[in-house]
Amino acid sequence: MSEVKESLKNNLVPEKVEPTYWKSFKELHNSNEFIEASHHEFKDGVTDEFELSKLSHLSRRKFLALLGASAALAGAGCADYRDKGEIIPYTKKPEEIIPGKANYYASFSNCCKCRCGILIKTREGRPVKVDGNPDNPVSQGKICAKCQASILGLYDPERLTSPLKKARNGNFEKISWKYVDSEIRNALLKSNGKGIAIIAHTINSPTALSVLEDFRKKYPNTRIYSYELFSEEIKNSAWKKCYGDSQFPLISWDKAKVILSLESDFLGSEGNHIENARLFSNGRDVNNTNKFNRLYVVEGNMSLTGMNADYRLRLRPDAQFEFVMSLLNEVGRKINVDVAGNYKLSSFAKKYSLSLKTLKYIIDDLMKNRGAAIVYAGNSLSEKTHIAVNYLNEILGNKNLYRNETVSLHPYSTKDEWSELVSSMNSGRVGAVIHFDSNPVFHLPSDSGYKHALQKVDTVITLTELESETSLLGNYTLPVNHSFESWGDAKTRTGFYSMQQPVISPLHDSRQKEAALLCWIEKDDFEYKENLYHEYLVKNWQENIYTGLKAGLPFKQFWLGALHDGVVIFNENIPSTAGFNNSALADLNSTADVSGFAVVLKESYSIGDGRFANNGWLQELPHPVSKVTWDNYAAVSQATAKELGIDTNDYIEITIEKRKLKIPVLVQPGSADKTITIESGYGRTKSGTIGTGVGFNTNVLLTSAYGLSHWLFSSAQVKKAGGSYEIVTTQEHQSFDIELLKDAAQKRGIIREGTVNEFLKNPHFLHENSEHKLDTFYPEFPYKDVKWGMAIDLNKCLGCGECVVACTAENNVPVVGKEQVKRGREMQWIRIDRYYSGSVEEPSVSTQPMLCQHCDHAPCENVCPVAATTHSPDGLNQMVYNRCVGTRYCSNNCPYKVRRFNFFNFRDNFNDGYQLDNIFSLVYNPEVTVRSRGVMEKCTFCVQRIMEAREIATREKRKLRGYDVKTACQEACPTNAIVFGDSNDKEAELSKYRNHNLGYHVLEELNVRPNVTYIAKLRNTHTEEV
Amino acid sequence: MEVDYSTEAAVVEGNLRLAEIDRIISRPIEERPGKKYLLALSISSSFLLIGAICVGLTFFYGVGMWGNNQPVGWAFGIVNFVFWIGIGHAGTLISAILFLLRQKWRTGVARFAEAMTIFAVMTAGLFPIIHTGRPWLAGYLTPYPNQHGLWVNLNSPLVWDVFAVSTYFTISLLFWYIGLVPDFASLRDKTISKVKKTIYSVFSLGWRHSNRHWQHYEKAYMILAGLSTPLVLSVHSIVSFDFATSILPGWHTTIFPPYFVAGAIFSGFAMVVTVLVFVRKVFDMENIITLNHLERMNKIILATGMMVGYAYGMEFFIAWYSGVQYEQFVFINRAFGPYAWAYWTMVSCNVIFPQLFWFRKIRRSVPAMFIIVILVNVGMWFERFVIIVSSLHRDFLPSSWGMFVPTLVDLGILLGSFGLFFTLVLLFAKTLPVVSISEIKAVAPGSQPSHAGNHNE
Repeated sequence: MSEVKESLKNNLVPEKVEPTYWKSFKELHNSNEFIEASHHEFKDGVTDEFELSKLSHLSRRKFLALLGASAALAGAGCADYRDKGEIIPYTKKPEEIIPGKANYYASFSNCCKCRCGILIKTREGRPVKVDGNPDNPVSQGKICAKCQASILGLYDPERLTSPLKKARNGNFEKISWKYVDSEIRNALLKSNGKGIAIIAHTINSPTALSVLEDFRKKYPNTRIYSYELFSEEIKNSAWKKCYGDSQFPLISWDKAKVILSLESDFLGSEGNHIENARLFSNGRDVNNTNKFNRLYVVEGNMSLTGMNADYRLRLRPDAQFEFVMSLLNEVGRKINVDVAGNYKLSSFAKKYSLSLKTLKYIIDDLMKNRGAAIVYAGNSLSEKTHIAVNYLNEILGNKNLYRNETVSLHPYSTKDEWSELVSSMNSGRVGAVIHFDSNPVFHLPSDSGYKHALQKVDTVITLTELESETSLLGNYTLPVNHSFESWGDAKTRTGFYSMQQPVISPLHDSRQKEAALLCWIEKDDFEYKENLYHEYLVKNWQENIYTGLKAGLPFKQFWLGALHDGVVIFNENIPSTAGFNNSALADLNSTADVSGFAVVLKESYSIGDGRFANNGWLQELPHPVSKVTWDNYAAVSQATAKELGIDTNDYIEITIEKRKLKIPVLVQPGSADKTITIESGYGRTKSGTIGTGVGFNTNVLLTSAYGLSHWLFSSAQVKKAGGSYEIVTTQEHQSFDIELLKDAAQKRGIIREGTVNEFLKNPHFLHENSEHKLDTFYPEFPYKDVKWGMAIDLNKCLGCGECVVACTAENNVPVVGKEQVKRGREMQWIRIDRYYSGSVEEPSVSTQPMLCQHCDHAPCENVCPVAATTHSPDGLNQMVYNRCVGTRYCSNNCPYKVRRFNFFNFRDNFNDGYQLDNIFSLVYNPEVTVRSRGVMEKCTFCVQRIMEAREIATREKRKLRGYDVKTACQEACPTNAIVFGDSNDKEAELSKYRNHNLGYHVLEELNVRPNVTYIAKLRNTHTEEV
Repeated sequence: MEVDYSTEAAVVEGNLRLAEIDRIISRPIEERPGKKYLLALSISSSFLLIGAICVGLTFFYGVGMWGNNQPVGWAFGIVNFVFWIGIGHAGTLISAILFLLRQKWRTGVARFAEAMTIFAVMTAGLFPIIHTGRPWLAGYLTPYPNQHGLWVNLNSPLVWDVFAVSTYFTISLLFWYIGLVPDFASLRDKTISKVKKTIYSVFSLGWRHSNRHWQHYEKAYMILAGLSTPLVLSVHSIVSFDFATSILPGWHTTIFPPYFVAGAIFSGFAMVVTVLVFVRKVFDMENIITLNHLERMNKIILATGMMVGYAYGMEFFIAWYSGVQYEQFVFINRAFGPYAWAYWTMVSCNVIFPQLFWFRKIRRSVPAMFIIVILVNVGMWFERFVIIVSSLHRDFLPSSWGMFVPTLVDLGILLGSFGLFFTLVLLFAKTLPVVSISEIKAVAPGSQPSHAGNHNE
């Protein structure tokens, strides 16, 4: 070839240089024809029809000018662009806002009395996600599901948008704050002679307390009442009798080697369960198996704590006193301490058919671990049970596990105070009642007569975010700020203050509730300012709190630092536990009457005391044990169900004295016989579209004249009520009696477990019987840089479901409603699978978070006809929404069934397009596509976070590392059970888990090569078998 | 019973003259529709309308109108698809394979069976489109050049389906049309209506019954028969790959291709018998579509029914023999789980009842065979239901198990599919010759030269 070229060059056109690039042989050979042609711009014939006269008379310039003018006319003239006054582009950009980049602000949430520290992620000034504030010494970066979901409350389309006043016809009508202020000031002055009652939940803000004090100064007849539907009241009163201090201490769960939990759900719904879970799981570290704690749970119904027990006994809660007394007697005999009564553990075991072996283990362990064990009684148990438990801990020397760090700024009102309030309301001695973001009509026992008495009060003011049962009965319903729109401070523990700051200006015409009070103490011509409470807060801190802290910083600097951190940490003495007051033991001489049915009311895991009823994310969060959504139910044991002649979904009627409740049952494996456990907070009659009429109101069973405790009733009567209801779960009810279905998860190796002893003896026990290596005849794909993987430690996973809500919030997962959950169409990308094994009476429970496993050989990918799901070079299984036609073949072929299909446009479908409201759509994460109907979706390993980290790494000219990314579920997990990272990085924490002796993959044998490693659960039993 | 095997049984009975054959076959086309016909048409088109409304609801609101859910991603939509594709198997089998095997008796039923094939495939073809979440994007399933550089995923059996079904439809349609050309010519020659004459002239493509035409015709027909024959086997094999190539226990089975083909022929013949029983009665064609025809088809039903029964048994054996617990569970769950009723409906309809065809009397009794073939149709629909739904509803992880309950829309669309099919069949019966006029003359007694030379005419 080169020779030919050479000769051509020499012979034919010697004077021309051979071109380096050539388009045709003619050009290559530089023929004359080509040279000739190259002198003409156009090829022959192209310009034949070009005639100047025939062209348009418009010049190019003129054409462009006309084009521009018409476009401008169309743009300006035809668009309905009204100047809304606020939409101005940044001519001067706010210093801290960079479009597309999130800002984080430290604050705390008002969602419960714990006041956990949060970090609010905002995008372009709009809050989009809440996570824990790592600087907060209690929550340490973790928050509960309610707090995660509180962002939805901010954008609840049904939040009150302006003050309402009840008109003569009974309807509420809009009114402006100006009139509200003057009317209320007059009313308050008028009723000053009588009395004013302010009814609040827990008050733990020093500044709010000082506002209330100021209010009382202006209106001296004001009294402040405070309550919680669920509290540690009884525990605290027992503590006071035993040790004199009015606050039950916190427990150092991390230091406990043996935990005996009596009817207490300390990992699920009691106390600061996020902190409890973190401390508890410290004793469940697979890399430190020698220090595993052992959890005994004795309870009436399977709770989240019970699911995680190493040994679990079922016992009706009203027999707990007898149980503790038997333990006390047994322990007393061993260490020569005189204990009241003559209880014998063996006869107790016989009476309630408990395993004597397990009881012996309990005694042995408590005796062996004196000083490192804790007996912990649940909030619902009676006072004397608490006294007995305190005494048991006392004689076992477990006092050093107590941390006296709880702080109470304002005590809860007592039974007597409430009855006094109601009687003075009835007799017209109360002129005004202010509901300080509380809902006593729903929460207080109906026999307290509060609802009735409220009608005798002239002025009833309800400060609230959403209309409620209480607001309906008042004259004024006034909108208050969401906690993300509020300023505040809180003191819940010794050693630090928490700070709250708004991250968005109020969306509606609402006020901070403290500011409303401040406004009403002023004179009539006082003009409300938005920063009213802010100024008050700063002043209060500068004058009262700052001085006491000796911070050593100028105030301004101190204040900004405090807001930045969200906490102010300082040195404060932690009081030590006083000596045991033996006079408390007198209460132990009585015997408990155990008869009829025991009924226990518990706080709902998801919607709390009913405050979160209007939150779709929480209503749809499956119950951690039963997987029920959108309902509460009466949990009963199978034997009890048989005795009553009922099954799941049938109604029963519970009668306690004269109070009745009709509610459907759910047969709960592991429930104690003759025990009925119901979660409260449901059955709201006035909430929003979502919360109204969901479930059954259990508060009708409450009474102000209780025997054992607010929440525990003995000698209840229960009968079949006829009719049935439909309780909806996200998991089929498990069968215990069909051999084929029994323990299916264990037989299939989906759940693999062992015991600590077994592991210590043979660390390789899990893989000893595993089959030969799985091969493939396809070449392995080389994952060069990062390859994403996840590990989930089932020893730490408690099955709480915080990750589910975090994922929902991060990934714009829609709410589908009860009807669709019933059809099996829930959309959550991560689910917590719960498997029972063993007998229906004494089941052992295993939980397993299940999400897209991002298989290397993903079976979903090769069946998609349009290649809408593909694999990325960093090991992610991707979904291309735009390409998805919706054949659902991928879901059929997914062995884990983790893909979720948009059968409808769920945002449109649920409750008449509730989720299409303009306000609602503000909650969406701008980095994640909102999916349309007919599209498949699934866990993406938070690909948007990966991409963000990759961008940062690229900008910083470094390699992307596995630890640069944290998934939403990982961030939310209170026990850090989820580890995410680069599985190619041998040094990473992830590798420790992926190559752990206890690591396994679910459905390994299918050879789909999943990328989520599960760490097998070890049960800390005495023997080697599970 | 004594059967005389020395002479071949006549394909056309009753010593019909050729002109009479012409008259019998073309009469339904020439006469005005009767009351019964209009009643039948109004019922079937009402069903079609119900189906259309339900499809409309599905398009408007989404596939959520159906009962499909998380574990059960496919249900009625794909059940109906496979069912109708199966129905579409008898026609081509009769026309192509039996043609190649020189089975003369096929002529009496071939045209009708072919028409049914085409209508069944048309009905089936709707389902893959309406079952998708975003049917307006169904075009993505076809490979077409585009500036995004996107292509279909050739690994996916659903893409193979698209090719298989569209090829099958095209070839079947051509085959049917080629066979119709001489008949169009006959009709053109007979008719006196100008409009009809024009239409028939267009469709008869200038056929003049010349020797040359016949020569070309025979060749073309033979080639198309040769092309269709592998398609009969391939289409349902490929449809079965939708299941067989997946990893789902109960689907992932190598027996599926032959099992599906046998099942398809089984259900196809059952449907042909169902329809022909009426057609021969209503159109007085008992001499052309004779009891012998029906009996032969019943024999095929018996044979393929036993193949299907063998497959049912073999699935259980393999599940046990494989030692795979998921596989074993799926089959025990099929037979004894929540969908056991569907499974036993399938087994009794497909395996047990067709055994009655061992008896000649039942084989030749029109009411008896009608009941049995209806049961076979039911059974074969349930076979697809069992395969698809009972495998999906409980697969690997017990946590994801669920139940499928059809909605009214599901049932409406199922009804609508029958409405569409029968509306098309009825329209066909009234507009085109339901038996090939030219071919039937060729097999009528006396039309072939014979040694004896005894012309019946």
